[in-house]
Amino acid sequence: MLLEVQNLKVYFYTRRGVVRAVDDVNLNLDKGEIVGLAGESGSGKSTIGYAIMRLVPNPGKIEGGKMLFKGENILDLDEDTFRRNYRWKKISMVFQGSMSGFTPVFKIKDQIVEVLKIHGWNGDYDERVKELFKMVNLDPSLAEKYPHELSGGQKQRAFIAMALALNPEVLIADEPTTALDVVVQEYILNLLKQLRKDLNLSIIFITHDLALLSEISDRNYILYAGKIMESGPSEIIFKKPRHPYTSLLIESIATLDKDIIKGISGFMPDLSTPPKGCRFNTRCPFAKDVCFNEEPEFKKFSDGDEVACWLY
Amino acid sequence: MKNPNLKNSQMVTRLPVGSTEDYRVRVRNLKVYFATGGRIFGKKHLTKALDGVTLTIKKREIMGVVGESGSGKTTLGRVTLGLQKPTEGEVYIKTDNEEINVVKSKVKVVGRYAQMIYQDPYSSIDPIMRVYDVLAMPLKYRKEENIEEKIKEAMNLVELPLELLENRVYQLSGGQRQRLSIARAIIVDPEYVVADEPTTMLDASLKGEILKIIKDAREKKGISFMLITHELPIAKIISDKITVLYLGKVVEIGRASDVIKKPLHPYTQSLIEAYPKIDPSLRDKPKEIKIKIDVVRPEKGCVFYPRCPFAHDRCKEKEPELKEIDQDHYVACWLY
Repeated sequence: MLLEVQNLKVYFYTRRGVVRAVDDVNLNLDKGEIVGLAGESGSGKSTIGYAIMRLVPNPGKIEGGKMLFKGENILDLDEDTFRRNYRWKKISMVFQGSMSGFTPVFKIKDQIVEVLKIHGWNGDYDERVKELFKMVNLDPSLAEKYPHELSGGQKQRAFIAMALALNPEVLIADEPTTALDVVVQEYILNLLKQLRKDLNLSIIFITHDLALLSEISDRNYILYAGKIMESGPSEIIFKKPRHPYTSLLIESIATLDKDIIKGISGFMPDLSTPPKGCRFNTRCPFAKDVCFNEEPEFKKFSDGDEVACWLY
Repeated sequence: MKNPNLKNSQMVTRLPVGSTEDYRVRVRNLKVYFATGGRIFGKKHLTKALDGVTLTIKKREIMGVVGESGSGKTTLGRVTLGLQKPTEGEVYIKTDNEEINVVKSKVKVVGRYAQMIYQDPYSSIDPIMRVYDVLAMPLKYRKEENIEEKIKEAMNLVELPLELLENRVYQLSGGQRQRLSIARAIIVDPEYVVADEPTTMLDASLKGEILKIIKDAREKKGISFMLITHELPIAKIISDKITVLYLGKVVEIGRASDVIKKPLHPYTQSLIEAYPKIDPSLRDKPKEIKIKIDVVRPEKGCVFYPRCPFAHDRCKEKEPELKEIDQDHYVACWLY
C-alpha cells in the first residue's frame, strides 16, 4: 500500500465550538490507483485532502490518526522535513479553483521554474517545463504567457503540470474540473487517465459529482458529515450500493438518462453537535432505534464493499 | 401619491381582449455588445454577448436556456427583465391585457410582471433580515392587501415550515434560502420569472426538490419561466423547451425531449455526448471528444465552425440561419 490514512481526525476550533469535520476516517491508496473521495459540501472531503498535504487551514487541527506513506508515518515528521521530502515531491495537489492559483503578474513558466528551484531540482529548467507541458497536452509556447492569456481549461492543465513538476507519486485532485465546461471537463478527465497510465500515478479524486467520478475511479469513499459511510470498487458503489446514503445520492445525481431526480430531505447536521449514533440518522428513510443510539461499525463484504450501516 | 400604473403608461400597448397570441415573452433580434479594453491597456473591441437572439416563451411554459460559460445565457435573462439594456432588438412581456415594452420601460415597471431567482442563495438575500420581512417587503412596496395570507401561501408552495417566519435568514440552510428566494420571486404573482442557475450552488440531494418547487409554481400560478443552466439534465427534467446558446447565438431550439434525444446541431450533440453519466466501465478508456475544446470566435461564418468536426467551406463564409427541421425543432447549421 502506498498511502494509508488511519483514524484521521481533523477538528476545527471555532467560536461556536469544536467542529468535527473529519472524524475517524480510514483511507488507502495503491500505486497507480485512482480513488474517489465523494460527498456533499461540508462532508469533509477537501479537508482530508488538505490533511494529507498537512495544510489544514486555521482554525483546523489534525487531532489524531496516522498517515503512512510507504509505511512511514508522515504525521510524525517535523514540518521542515515534511516540506523538504514529501510536500509536492511525493504528494502534490491540484486545488479547487486552482485555475486562479497562478499569480497574474508572472509568466506561467517562471512560476513553475520557481517550484523547481525551491525544491532543489537539478537540470535544465526550460526543458523540464517543455516536458511537463507536453505531458498535459499543452503547446509549450503557452508557458511564456501570463495566466490571463490562457483559457480556463489551459490554466487547469498548466496547474496540473506544475503539480507534476517534481514527479510526485500521489496527486490529490480536489474538484479539478468543477468550474469548467463539460467538454473541457471530459478532456481533463481523459488527461488524468492518461497520466495514471504513463506515470503510474496514484490519484485521489475529490468531487461532489458522482457521475463524473464514476467515469474515472477504481475505488471510492463516500463521505457524509465527516464520516465514511461506504467504500468499495466502482462497480459496486455506482451500480449496487449498499448504504442508503450512497444509493439516495446516486439517485439524486442529474444525468441525461433520468426524467426525474429524487432528493434527500433534510440537511446535514451541525458538526459541532453531531447526532448520536449514525450521522445520517436524521435523513435516513430506514433509520431505526439502534441508529439513534449506537454508531454502526464497518461491515466487509466479499466483493470489496465496506458499509457502516445497521441494515447489514 | 405615486401611481406607477400611470407613469410610463405610454410604454404599455393595450391588446384586444381575447387575443389569440399566447406568448408571454417575445425576444426579437436581440444584440448586446460590450466594449472591452481601450482606455489604458490594448485596443478597444466589441464583445458580442448576444448576437441576434430571437425566441418566444409561451404562457405557463418553462424555457430552458443552456450553454457553456460565455454563451450569453445570463445576459439574455437580464435583458428580458430590463436589467440590461440591449444594443439592439426588442423584448416584450405580455400579460392578459397589456403588452410591456421591456427595453423602453423602467425596471420598476417590468418588476411588476417579472422577477428573478439568483444562483447564490447566500448573497442574494440580506442575511440579517427576518424571513417574514423578506416576503412582506415586496408586498408592502406594492401596497398589497392580505399580506399574511399571501406569505402563508408562498411558504406552503416552497414547502418551508411557517415556524421559520420569525427566524433570521442567516439561520437557514442553503436549500432553505433558495426556497425563500423562490418564494420572494413568486409572492408578487409575476407572469414571468427568470431562474438563473437556481440549483448550481446546491448539493445534489437538494436539486430535485428545488426543481419540483419551480414546477409547482408553474402549475399553481401559471408562471412562465426562463431557466438558465449549464446542467443539461436539469434543463431536460424541468423544461418544456430548450434553447442552446453558443457565443451569443441560438444554435438550436426545440422541445426539451427532442433537443436531448435527437440533437441536431454538432455542438448540442457534443455537449450531450460529453455529459458525465454513471458508467464505471469508462474508467480505463478515454472518452471520445469530437470537437475542439478551445473556444475561438471567428470573424465571419458560423460561430461554431472553428470547433466543428463537420466544418466545410460554406461554414467559414456564411452564417447559417435558424431553420425548422422537425415540428418546433429549429437548428442553425449548414448540415441541414
